[in-house]
Amino acid sequence: MIVLETQNLTKQFGGLTAVNAVSMTINQGDIVGLIGPNGAGKTTFVNAISGLNPPTSGKVTFFGEDTTGLTPEQMCKKGLSRTFQIPSPFPKMTAIESVMTASIFGNAPGVVKDPVQHSREMLDFVEFPMAEDVLSEQLNTVQLKRLDLARALASHPKLLFMDEMASGLSEGELSDIMRILDKISRKGISILMIEHIMQLIMAVCNRLLCIQFGTKIAEGPTQEVANDPRVTKAYLGSAD
Amino acid sequence: METTNTVQSSPAWGTLLGKIGFNPAGILCVFLLMALPFIPPFNQEYLLRWLIYAAFIATLSVGFDFTSGYINIVNFGYAAVAGYGGYTSALLAVNLNISPWIGIFIGGANAAVLGLIIGMISLRLRGIFAACLSWFFGLALMGLATKLVWLTRGPLGLRTPRMFETESNIPFYYLIIVLLILTYVICKMVVNSKMGLAFKAIGQNMDAARTSGINPVFYRVFNFTLSCALAGILGGFYGHYYGILTPEVMHTTKTVEVLAVAYIGGRGSLWGGAVVAFPFIFLMEIIRSTLSHLPGLNLVIYALMLILVMIYYPGGFSHFFDVHIRQSKNKILRILTGNA
Ligand SMILES: Nc1ncnc2c1ncn2[C@@H]1O[C@H](COP(=O)(O)OP(=O)(O)OP(=O)(O)O)[C@@H](O)[C@H]1O
Ligand SMILES: [Mg+2]
Repeated sequence: MIVLETQNLTKQFGGLTAVNAVSMTINQGDIVGLIGPNGAGKTTFVNAISGLNPPTSGKVTFFGEDTTGLTPEQMCKKGLSRTFQIPSPFPKMTAIESVMTASIFGNAPGVVKDPVQHSREMLDFVEFPMAEDVLSEQLNTVQLKRLDLARALASHPKLLFMDEMASGLSEGELSDIMRILDKISRKGISILMIEHIMQLIMAVCNRLLCIQFGTKIAEGPTQEVANDPRVTKAYLGSAD
Repeated sequence: METTNTVQSSPAWGTLLGKIGFNPAGILCVFLLMALPFIPPFNQEYLLRWLIYAAFIATLSVGFDFTSGYINIVNFGYAAVAGYGGYTSALLAVNLNISPWIGIFIGGANAAVLGLIIGMISLRLRGIFAACLSWFFGLALMGLATKLVWLTRGPLGLRTPRMFETESNIPFYYLIIVLLILTYVICKMVVNSKMGLAFKAIGQNMDAARTSGINPVFYRVFNFTLSCALAGILGGFYGHYYGILTPEVMHTTKTVEVLAVAYIGGRGSLWGGAVVAFPFIFLMEIIRSTLSHLPGLNLVIYALMLILVMIYYPGGFSHFFDVHIRQSKNKILRILTGNA
């Protein structure tokens, strides 16, 4: 089943075309890696789909329904969640409160009977390393990313966008993330992850999408895209 | 025996009171406020007038904090909205002979409509821009009150009937204390509901809130509407207490007075400003009356105190209270603050 499809999705900021006519599909169960050099337009692409920064032109289809230009809160209720590149849940809230926002407001009425309990389960699920009543502003980036992930999962997504979840992680934390990713995927949640760490991408993604200067340069099975000379030139070559 | 009894019966009372935002210390404060007019030196009429003004600012600070402390938008037109409600009620009384007791609620409703409009127009704006917009609204309202002389008598002031036909300040004092408690309980119950979580979320991180499924339009407009409605009612009280309404009541410095109290009291606590208002306003009145040859000095002091609090203790009094009194090692203090 096709989860998400974009057709010629374009986003312009004034004269700058940050995303240029990108078409792609995500199938049920996919873990798609979205790669590309810094400033390629990856975050902008994700924002255009999730509604934070609606596209200038093109079309977004989510489970067969045209969702182009819907607001983030509408997309959330339809089953699209996302984490942020700079994770910033609510600084003055405790961890559990931060997750409760999505538990309460991100689900259809009646789906979550006990928001506190549900939020607790989400924190456990992402192996949140701190007490649930710690204030968000006291967390470091790695902990914040976990918290942001718990929040994103609390609204029962069918598709999850992750924006650089693993950047800045140590070797050990990387294997934690892989384990958690696997758990998410086994729940039947499809994933699109923006990532720079090739080790992680090669290990977990079944498909890759590579964009450069806002334009798609390759899409397909992981090995194929990773070995594509255009990709190596644009991305892998410039990375080191 | 007796002690065990009270301990056993306290949870039921405790939860009920907790729901409306009171711990034992809060109840003590309410009793103290109730008794104050009979305790010298506060039984003198001029000090009672100060007390009434302090309670008025305290109540406004609760409504102000309901917006600034939660959805994180400073409504710089807050005093103007209060004045707008006050003028509504005063004009109804003067022209249509409507009782102030009904008029203040019509004033509140009218201010609510204004809040709805400000909330809608400022929706697309974030933080500082929304604050500016509400400020411009306030300036425009004050300009209208000053210029529409045929309606409001402008700076000469509009004479309004008082709510009690008596020289004594006591009935007015109890009325404003009741308004203070009601305002606090209403705001507290709203923020304790899941609505409060939505307010905090959109105030702290709009993008994360929206991707968590929170529709900011509804919550922001609702918040503005309620806080403006409360201000409108209070403005009515103000007019019908002093018996005269001038455009001065809508001045930005009035909002700043409320803001100072709310910030020093502790943003997002609702009660902090209400408590701090009393000593603060007294201090200001003493300064004003002893240094009357230096007008405007009180504003300098507001500014200085605000700056000091913002830099050295941004959590304000409520934060101090939480850390040093609520969580103190002293058992009695913990029981008093409902943290036993
Ligand atoms: N709100 C905005 N207004 C104007 N230009 C923007 C905006 N957001 C992004 N851009 C520009 O669009 C381009 C793509 O940015 P984007 O953040 O999507 O890149 P990215 O692929 O996520 O990069 P990185 O790997 O560094 O996160 C950049 O040139 C950026 O400067
Ligand atoms: Mg990015």
